[in-house]
Amino acid sequence: MATLREWISRLVATLRPRRGERELEQELRAHLELAAEAAEQRGQSPDDARRAAAHDAGGVVQAMEALREQRGVPWLEDLARDLRYGYRMLARNPGFTAVAVVSLAIGVGANCAAFSFADTLLLRPLTVPRPAELLTIGQVNPFEDSLDSSYRDFADIRDRSRSFAGLTAFAKSTAGFAPSAEAPAKLAIGLLVAGNFFDVVGVEPQLGRDFRPEENQAPSRDAVVILGHEFWTQQFGADPAILGRTVRLNGADFTVVGVTPARFTGVDQFVRFQFYAPLMMWPRFTPDDGARPFEARDYRRLTVMGRLRRGVTRAQAQAELATIAADLERAHPDTNRNGRLLVRTELQNRIAQAPPVATLAAMLMGLAGAVLFVACANVAGLLASRAPMRAREVAMRLAIGAGRRRVVRQLITESMLIAFAGALLGLGVGYAAVRLFSQIQIPVDLPIAPTFSLDRRVLLFSIAVALVSAVLFGLAPALRAGRTDLTAVMKASDAAGFGRRRPWGRRVLVGGQVAIAVVLLVVATFTYRGFQQQLTGGPGFRTDRLLMMSVAPKQLRYSEAQAQQFFERLAEAARLTPGVTSATVTRYMPMDGIPPSITIVPEGFEFPPGQDSVVIASSVVDEHYFETIDLPILRGRAFQPTDSADAQRVAIVNQVVAERYWRSQDPIGKRFRLDGARGPWVIVVGVARTSKYTFAIENPKPFVYLPFRQQPADSMFLLAESSGDPLLLAAPLRELVRGLDANLPIANVRTMEEQYRLRSLVVLDVIVTTIGAMGAMGLALAVVGLYGLVAYAASRRTKEIGIRMAIGADRASVLRMVLGQGLLLIAAGLGAGLVASMGAGPLLDSIFARGMAGDRGTTLFAFGLVASTVLLVALAAAYIPARRASMINPTEALRSE
Amino acid sequence: MPNRDKARSKTDVLQGTLDLMVLQTLATLGSQHGYAIAARLEQVSAGALRLNMGTLYPGLMRLEQRGLIRGDWGVTDTSRKARFYTLTAAGRRELKSERAEWERMTTIMRTLLQEEA
Repeated sequence: MATLREWISRLVATLRPRRGERELEQELRAHLELAAEAAEQRGQSPDDARRAAAHDAGGVVQAMEALREQRGVPWLEDLARDLRYGYRMLARNPGFTAVAVVSLAIGVGANCAAFSFADTLLLRPLTVPRPAELLTIGQVNPFEDSLDSSYRDFADIRDRSRSFAGLTAFAKSTAGFAPSAEAPAKLAIGLLVAGNFFDVVGVEPQLGRDFRPEENQAPSRDAVVILGHEFWTQQFGADPAILGRTVRLNGADFTVVGVTPARFTGVDQFVRFQFYAPLMMWPRFTPDDGARPFEARDYRRLTVMGRLRRGVTRAQAQAELATIAADLERAHPDTNRNGRLLVRTELQNRIAQAPPVATLAAMLMGLAGAVLFVACANVAGLLASRAPMRAREVAMRLAIGAGRRRVVRQLITESMLIAFAGALLGLGVGYAAVRLFSQIQIPVDLPIAPTFSLDRRVLLFSIAVALVSAVLFGLAPALRAGRTDLTAVMKASDAAGFGRRRPWGRRVLVGGQVAIAVVLLVVATFTYRGFQQQLTGGPGFRTDRLLMMSVAPKQLRYSEAQAQQFFERLAEAARLTPGVTSATVTRYMPMDGIPPSITIVPEGFEFPPGQDSVVIASSVVDEHYFETIDLPILRGRAFQPTDSADAQRVAIVNQVVAERYWRSQDPIGKRFRLDGARGPWVIVVGVARTSKYTFAIENPKPFVYLPFRQQPADSMFLLAESSGDPLLLAAPLRELVRGLDANLPIANVRTMEEQYRLRSLVVLDVIVTTIGAMGAMGLALAVVGLYGLVAYAASRRTKEIGIRMAIGADRASVLRMVLGQGLLLIAAGLGAGLVASMGAGPLLDSIFARGMAGDRGTTLFAFGLVASTVLLVALAAAYIPARRASMINPTEALRSE
Repeated sequence: MPNRDKARSKTDVLQGTLDLMVLQTLATLGSQHGYAIAARLEQVSAGALRLNMGTLYPGLMRLEQRGLIRGDWGVTDTSRKARFYTLTAAGRRELKSERAEWERMTTIMRTLLQEEA
């Protein structure tokens, strides 16, 4: 029985293998000498004594082997030996090694990149302990597809549910933050959280304390705040004396009671929250009537999150919530009709809120997988080319007594070496991709950003990919080598017994490579052409000579009327500023995230059963909006100053709305009810051209504009058109806002051009570059594979070609023969690839927007382009070795045996 | 893998026996080199037990790795360099408990075999 001590001793001996080897041998020799001495004493001749001793004691070599086994950890020593041997083999064949390693680097790199993309946007778990247990609960908000809840519903769910170890609620909120009463306010983003929030997410403040239970009991009473770690570090230099100090949020004093730990960034994959305040302070952060957030059951602005009790499944929780929802519906039919409660994991949330991102990530992963396959096929092909040579070596090793198991292990070790070298280099490729992705930044003044990085998760994933690929390309050849028929291989001059049946498999592999390259290129071409096509029309509004900035007077607790007046004066003053040719205020800025939504009931429209209203994206704008942003009113009129609070309520709809609800009628003069079936009537006075709203490439969206004088908004953008460089307006306009109210935080000061570029063009650029790079990599790898196969096939036929030439075949016919074989492969791969590419168009349509794939003509063009490119490049790859084969000197070819 | 387990337990018994023999030899004769141990065992067994080096030295190494004996280079009476093995305190304890165990086993076996007879 081996004790721990024995193993430690063995391990030490393994790590320092040279020590003791000679000493052991010395000891054995001493044994033999002592034995001989004893025999001599018994009267034998010295020679006889020596022979007898050797006979009795056994061989030194065998004893040494047994000792070595006892001394170290044999498999570890074997591994070290295999690694050394494998390294020597790879170093001796630099061409092979380079092609194999680079191929794999590309394959692993592509996967590393795709995973990093998917991880950052979708997969990375929340920064809390056991994130998988956290579920979001609520009613589906049809507009954003998020799960929302009201405070009253939350309280009922919390009190009645048994499936969760804890249920908490929170609301995101921006606020004007100032470190002291004197300092100017800046925009900050935080979470208003129920009392048990930190408890449920499982995070304790690093400094100070959690909220006390009584601090979440009475509305607006306890003004305490916990700061986010990053914010604390940036804003206060990580000063621990921050505890007990007061800071200002939306103009009110809050006492700092704690700081979150550094690893916790809040419960969102992109936002690194700057502060956490008790949910009971909510009235401080919303312009809505103070009691409403806590009283109104249809005030659904909360996210409810629960930590599943151990042993309870998601399905059980869902079932329980269904009964709770049914009870709530019965008790509160007005507000909770059809109020199904759903549970979602974080991943489901993210996918639900951005299905195209999920599809795009899945597509990139798929493309990367395809690239990896092509890469692995290359390495497998290379290994197959070397198989005959290796077969003799393997046979030799088997013949001198190596175990088959050891030989297989040795070959697998070699594959692993290639894989890890490839992975290492692939991380370089991945890093380049991460740098590329990092160009995607959301232009905001808040810490909201997808953070792409080569973190531990990406590293682990890359290593796993490398391991899988090593198995893919290395296991089959290794096992086959392990079954090598000794005598056949040793006897055959060219190891013919080895790999005679192989070429078929290899041909299929290379054909597959070509096919995959075709698919990758078609996707890349479609994406590129689709983007081009979609972008030619522009966003539908002007992007040049515009400067924007946002202000939110709610952060200073302006009343509705005060805010209204403020924006009016702001726009007025802006128009008078030198250099400004036109200025407007708007609730929503195009390309700035999700627009606000309104619920409307168009008159005379027949809804499908179960639906009685529709949620539509909207903005609130003043009468100068359409001229400033250069968005034409196609019918009717723009807003006018006379569309005031006491006048008839009016709206301007875009073409999609007009087309959808008043098809082939004149939409002007038509009416809809705002905020549901009992809301006020609003008359459509104009139809605006449909533009892009949230992204440069999107399907036409319904959109409604409401006049600023009839629909108050708590935060708005000032948008000014300049006669020259719009950035020159930044300083005077800032000054203007400060003149109106020095405490108002100004945010998002940037030109429309930059907004459009950052929010849309950069993203498209990154996507096109990524997909294009994958296409190029796929083609390059496939070409290498094809070249390798043709060259190999030709070299195997050297003798045959020699004979053919000797009996009269000319070079051209040899060239044709060798090339013909390659051509067949190319044609088969091309055909298969084009057929498989049929799905690319619909896929891209679903990710980006209808019409990405274009019509028949553009599809055919793209197919033709890809097909001719692949054909040309592949022919060149096959031609080079074919030509070399045709240059064979027949006499030499025949003599070479 | 039942077969392998069986094989291993068999060698374990043999190894255990060899261990006990070596420890007892060292306890009786004091510090000894490998050949002397082998010679002693051969003599005691009247030639029935001939250990080759491939069995003896790995056994000695294992005992040394487990800290039961200690090996040091020394010089024999005939001025030859050899590695001498000495029982350690742990070895002495091990010998005691192993011997007790062995005696218990043999008693049981003897009783059992006699009954059978």
